[in-house]
Amino acid sequence: MSEQPSGRDHGDDAGRPFDGVRVLELAEGISGPFAGRWLAALGADVVKVERTTGDPSRAFGPWPDDLPDDETSGLFLYLNGDKRSITLNLETSDGREILRELAQSAEIVIESFEPGFLESHELSYAELSRDHDALVMISITPFGQTGPNANLPATELTLYAASGQMWLTGHPERHPLKNGGSQPSYQAGLNALAAITGAYYGAVMHGQGSYIDLSVQETYAGMAEAFHTRASQLGIESQRSGNNLNALWGVYEVADGHGGICALPRNYPAFARAVGLDELQDERFADPGQRLLNNDELMAIMYGWFAAQTRQGLLELGIEHRVPFGYVATFEDLTNSEHLQSRDFFASLDDEDTGSLTYPGRLWLSSGHDWKMGRAPRLGEHNMEIIHGELGYEREDLVRLRELDAI
Amino acid sequence: MFDPGRPLTGVRVADLTMIWAGPYGAKILADQGAEVIKIESPRAWDNIRTLLPPPVAPGEHWWNTNFYFHEYSRNKKSLSLDLASDEGKAVFARLLAHCDVVMENYRTDVMDNLGLSYEWLCEQREDIIVVGMAGFGKTGPEKDAVGYGPIIEMMSGMTSTSGYGDDGVPYKSGISYGDPIAGICAAAAVATALIQRKRTGKGQYIDLAQREVMSTLLGEFYMDWSMNRRLPEHMGTGHDWMSPHNVYPCAGDDDWIAICVRTDVEWEGLKRAMGAPHWTERAEFSDQILRWEHRAELDELVAAWTRGRAKTDAFAALHAERVPSSPVWKMLEVLRDPHLQARGFYEPIRHPEVGIWVAHGWLWRTEGGQPCIVGPAPDFGQHNADILGGLLGIPQAEQAALEAAGVVATRPEGVPPASEMPATPSLI
Repeated sequence: MSEQPSGRDHGDDAGRPFDGVRVLELAEGISGPFAGRWLAALGADVVKVERTTGDPSRAFGPWPDDLPDDETSGLFLYLNGDKRSITLNLETSDGREILRELAQSAEIVIESFEPGFLESHELSYAELSRDHDALVMISITPFGQTGPNANLPATELTLYAASGQMWLTGHPERHPLKNGGSQPSYQAGLNALAAITGAYYGAVMHGQGSYIDLSVQETYAGMAEAFHTRASQLGIESQRSGNNLNALWGVYEVADGHGGICALPRNYPAFARAVGLDELQDERFADPGQRLLNNDELMAIMYGWFAAQTRQGLLELGIEHRVPFGYVATFEDLTNSEHLQSRDFFASLDDEDTGSLTYPGRLWLSSGHDWKMGRAPRLGEHNMEIIHGELGYEREDLVRLRELDAI
Repeated sequence: MFDPGRPLTGVRVADLTMIWAGPYGAKILADQGAEVIKIESPRAWDNIRTLLPPPVAPGEHWWNTNFYFHEYSRNKKSLSLDLASDEGKAVFARLLAHCDVVMENYRTDVMDNLGLSYEWLCEQREDIIVVGMAGFGKTGPEKDAVGYGPIIEMMSGMTSTSGYGDDGVPYKSGISYGDPIAGICAAAAVATALIQRKRTGKGQYIDLAQREVMSTLLGEFYMDWSMNRRLPEHMGTGHDWMSPHNVYPCAGDDDWIAICVRTDVEWEGLKRAMGAPHWTERAEFSDQILRWEHRAELDELVAAWTRGRAKTDAFAALHAERVPSSPVWKMLEVLRDPHLQARGFYEPIRHPEVGIWVAHGWLWRTEGGQPCIVGPAPDFGQHNADILGGLLGIPQAEQAALEAAGVVATRPEGVPPASEMPATPSLI
């Protein structure tokens, strides 16, 4: 693989927010690596400590031509750009010692072991921060460090169910539905980024770090919108509403796929102008109170109208009339989007092992910094550079450590 | 004394955001200790206050008591200020000198139309950090598109990944998922910019497009398109190699339990949890690949076990055997989840007119931390005098003149009585 150029060049004057900050990533899977991935793109030196067999996400696809390979997992490549990889076996005392030395040089530690693992290996926050008050450390686990479910294994599906999110998703007359992909883990990773950046700001300002316990279930349960307060404040249960909360809030079939609308009452006049059907001016639809009483009739009209629209046509009509129209975009649409390309949204990678890859390369655009958009490391690629070059172990030591299964 | 649970203490945020995405982000900043001043015009107040009519007698000041508003507004202060007027803008300019951050999630053109460009904001406070959260960003051919959460979700690729799989229909999330995702990211962007400001002494402008943030949660699908020109199949509640992996019906009305088996060890656990029925020894369920190949039949057999049981009873049996599982909690049930209760996730919140209820506390918690919720959502304009008089030193007579001119107010203009709002069985 070759080094990739970074996306947008803001010049080197401002640098990046995390330049010179070392992050120790002991996390596997999606959540922790997702947070670490953005810290790396923001300039941090993220040292990814992998078990000797590698982060399990290396064993998840997609792969080019569906041929499994530890170095070409699309999920791993996406989540680990710009990091350095070393392998450590934490079941060996040498492995743990190297980790402690690395932690001394780190400002931030991200970990995702089962609760209790680090304590039992003498690598808890109390130990890693003993002479290092400013250390920020976050544990990311399905249910957090405490409570009756703390050690219960979890999957995306069970976390989706446990957070209350699943109950709300899907058709009211069918079973609750799971979102595609790995949303519990990803959203937890984004929360972890907010938690880490906030805590690190506190550490920079006050010299005092913190230990953060993040539960995937809690971060996901914390975004239940009006449904949550309706239950907690008013005692009212909510139901699944499928693709249509009402006629003007939902997904419809259009001529070349699916599109949708999300109009609040205040958007109605612009909506009616954009659609241009005379009947939409009738009191029974134009009046907000009557509109809900005539929702089925309005939906029937909308089914007919949407069926004659195209996806791009809908978006353009929305732009013209300032109406919240959109369409169900595919990853082909997105990869080819002029809009996203014009905003330097994508990182790209092109080498013989993976072929040409295009994927999201940043979270936001800033006038103050750009984003690194480099490649992910091979397993243990930086063992020599870090353990020999930076920690000062001799080359013979590395041979010995390898023989002891420590690296 | 520095509280590591509130690392943003001392940061002041002028919060111009409305509805959900922005307010959710500002809530996270407020929970972390930032002083978030929610600024609304007496004539253009946050629509979330009155979007959903309350189903029970709401009281006279229902713009302050409405449940939806309370979801995003605890721990914040409220200042009413008409930014469209010269007087209001002059007050805002004075306030900005005391602020670190400005957040807005207006349509792309609104800040400039109000005369609140980034340049103007910087003139009031040289190192200001400004976060704009337009749905599609501030540049590019689609910048003027508008959208709430589900539109963001559709346009990000998210919706294309979800569906039952048997009808070709893509499904949106139950919540407006794009909003909180953008809000969380905005909180991270603010802290990141504060870190950089500490180093460089400079502020920055952050153009945070909600659609783009949502799309970063879908990396493997982009990779599959790049690598194999393949678009996601709708998996329903199934999985491409695990079985059992589904939601199973339980005794009760629309009650379900999610059960997943990833390994042979977990399969043995499931067998024990179900009381080791003899069918589990059949050859076609003897390894992971075979179980997946026979998943339709296996799902039926597992459902036959769950169907007669309360989901909490089934869960207790599965929990004892460490099988990945969870009841599909309804909204009233997740509030009583024994695990969340044991962790103190929900905290009491008290409002003088509403009474007491629970809201979620820390989204993540810091060792030795205090309760998350300091105070309920502020009444409209509740902190006008504190901020105008206390922080800015504007004399009372001048404050009275601003109020007389309608630049500040303690009640929003044009809110219809709750009794005139349409009754609705639906949420919006």
